[in-house]
Amino acid sequence: MATQHGIKFALHIITNHFGNLVAKVCECLLRRGPLSLQHVIRYTELSKIQVKNSLLVLIQHNCVQAFYLDEPDAPKSTQYMVLFDNIIHRVRFSKFLVTVSQEFDKMCVDLTEALLQHGRLTLNQIHDRFNSIQKEGNSISLDAVQENLHKLVTSHYVERCPLSEPVLTQPDQDEVPARKRGAKSSKIIVEPETLEQRVIAAAVPVEAKRFSLITDDERNADAVKDKCDSCTEHVGEKRKYDALESDVDSGGTEEQAVLWRVNFDEFIRRLRHKACTENIRTRLDDGAAIVISAMLEASRKEEKKVKTAKSAPLSLDSIYEEVIKNEMGRNMTFDHVRASLFQLSSGPPFVIVEDDSYIIDFKCIMKLAQSDEVESVVLKRYGKDAYRIFRSLSEAGRLLETDKISDTVFVEKKETTNILYKMWQDNYIHMEKIVVGTTIFLLWKINKETLWKTVLDEMFHAALNLSIRMAYELEQQQEVLNLPADRREGPMKVKFERLKKVRMLLESSQMKLDDAIMLFHDF
Amino acid sequence: MSRLQGPSSLKRPRPGSNSSTQALTEHEHIVYELIRSKQDMGIWTRDVKRETNLQDAVVNKSIKALQAKNLIKEVVNIQSKGRKHYMAAEFEPSKEISGGAWYVEGNLHTEFIEILKKLCVKQVERLKIATLEGLHDSIKRSGALNVDLTKQQIEQILRALVLDDKIMEVKSNGLGDFTRIPVGKICYKCVSKAGPKIGAMASIPCGVCPRINECTPDGVISPHTCVYYKKWLEF
Ligand code: SF4
Repeated sequence: MATQHGIKFALHIITNHFGNLVAKVCECLLRRGPLSLQHVIRYTELSKIQVKNSLLVLIQHNCVQAFYLDEPDAPKSTQYMVLFDNIIHRVRFSKFLVTVSQEFDKMCVDLTEALLQHGRLTLNQIHDRFNSIQKEGNSISLDAVQENLHKLVTSHYVERCPLSEPVLTQPDQDEVPARKRGAKSSKIIVEPETLEQRVIAAAVPVEAKRFSLITDDERNADAVKDKCDSCTEHVGEKRKYDALESDVDSGGTEEQAVLWRVNFDEFIRRLRHKACTENIRTRLDDGAAIVISAMLEASRKEEKKVKTAKSAPLSLDSIYEEVIKNEMGRNMTFDHVRASLFQLSSGPPFVIVEDDSYIIDFKCIMKLAQSDEVESVVLKRYGKDAYRIFRSLSEAGRLLETDKISDTVFVEKKETTNILYKMWQDNYIHMEKIVVGTTIFLLWKINKETLWKTVLDEMFHAALNLSIRMAYELEQQQEVLNLPADRREGPMKVKFERLKKVRMLLESSQMKLDDAIMLFHDF
Repeated sequence: MSRLQGPSSLKRPRPGSNSSTQALTEHEHIVYELIRSKQDMGIWTRDVKRETNLQDAVVNKSIKALQAKNLIKEVVNIQSKGRKHYMAAEFEPSKEISGGAWYVEGNLHTEFIEILKKLCVKQVERLKIATLEGLHDSIKRSGALNVDLTKQQIEQILRALVLDDKIMEVKSNGLGDFTRIPVGKICYKCVSKAGPKIGAMASIPCGVCPRINECTPDGVISPHTCVYYKKWLEF
């Protein structure tokens, strides 16, 4: 869901990272949806070579995915689709690196950083890059690079790049003969909803191949077979369409020509887990946080997608086993864990108990965290009484009459009406009028779906503004920044110190706001 | 505190107390009967005029006379405090008119409510896990109040505290702190980190900005010119 300001923020990021030309092509795709090369050229009024190069940059950095729609009414040319989420991920690279650094050593972090910086790289390219920044005599062997790459691939932080141009055939077409593997067409495929989801699903290599370091010889045969029916892979087939094959993978053996990239999904999943744990910590206590974190770890393997609603069921024993793997958890007794599990299930059901097993309700945790965020905005914008009113409406989840609200929140009726009215004007709540005889009753409720969308849009707007302001502050203080440290004296020193504080505040706010954006958009 | 009027303190209407109505003029009689017929809802002067079809001056005069004879009284209608609202003397304003038990003379009794809230939080803190009945009891026994509160009233206070995010509802499992409480019973406990958390949006200017819809990168209102930012970044 790319909101208006989401698009503006994405374009701001692309402009900062790749300049105006690429941003122009990106904007065209963001605003108009998937387009063919010809159409992008027409709409942007740029030259063919400009558009081509811009698309190549965007593909290289995983912000655009090409595909071919093999459907009767579809245009007979390669389409380019912009991947909004991947653009926004670009402001999270530092978070991804922290995540890797918590589990692996420096070389893995550097490797991840290289991939984040360059988008897609082959093993050889990674190796070259490593050695180009090493001091002389300190060269790193290809084996060492491969070993670290292996670690990252095994933990799913790095994956093989998706197909450069998957072909999408129409779903549900029993009559149409399957193009390559008729025998497998009976396999049931749950059809993803949006075109974007379909394209991504079609482009992603099958799980076994996606995270495999095995050479191409072994997989070539399987790969063709394993793809699902609605997305046919044209391995080795010469493109008839105007696909923009990235030329970064020219040369080298098959093995080294495999392109690798960072797997954003895995990072987002980790950050989602972290957010869950931290949320439980602030809401309940450290014990509950340790238990949740252990449960996340224990059920991790069963998780198929990022936005999993519920974890796999876990037994008390398996949870305890995981708890004591953690240093902090070792202080916990069996009873303590049991008590924490109870705590997690007795208030809002963060954990559901079912036949002696325990299931994490991600949705419940996320929903409450989202409500917290919105409520705190309401508190700051409209005050304490409004906060209470908002919470009572949120809790009710249905239409409530003014008097009823006023009674439950202990706010004077007139004041209640005023507050409700203000929030209604800002689109925070929904109002309905009912006329009974000569009396008009006002009924109110929170329309979560629209409100959450508004809030997310405002978050993107705020993120954009933070970034603009940061650039402005730095620009204003160019003079101070250019001064060598030993010449910063008097007023210049004061200015420099201020700028340092400004930067720190803006940067930490950006990170925090991005956490909130993920909460509403990615989790 | 005794100003708080619980439902129990409602005076029952005394029927047939019309001994003093004999000395009324015809107009006064009409007005009085109308007002009295409205029982505990009372009536607005404008409606008296409309329903009796009498002239303004006559109605006003009659009302004055009836008030002087203590047959009717002026009451505050919390729906519209500015309007003159009358009721026969023997009635007490209904909940719709008075605002209910938490209102005194048309005003919400906020100080009293605040005292009660504090008292409840203190008791929940002390008990760690509390049921409604337990709280009702312990408040009564504490002798901190010189009025009797009903269980419903305590419950209302607890609901408000939940909305304040000061306490939370939990269900008993009959174990640990809940040993004395039946399984499944709703209990109250204090929120570990009381008070609302300040979210990411609430801690930056744009998150709570009233002008956000007018703010654009190159507009009159922009992050460059923003007064909220200026203030925020004052070090
Ligand atoms: S930059 Fe300033 S004016 Fe614009 S939305 Fe933010 S706080 Fe409001």
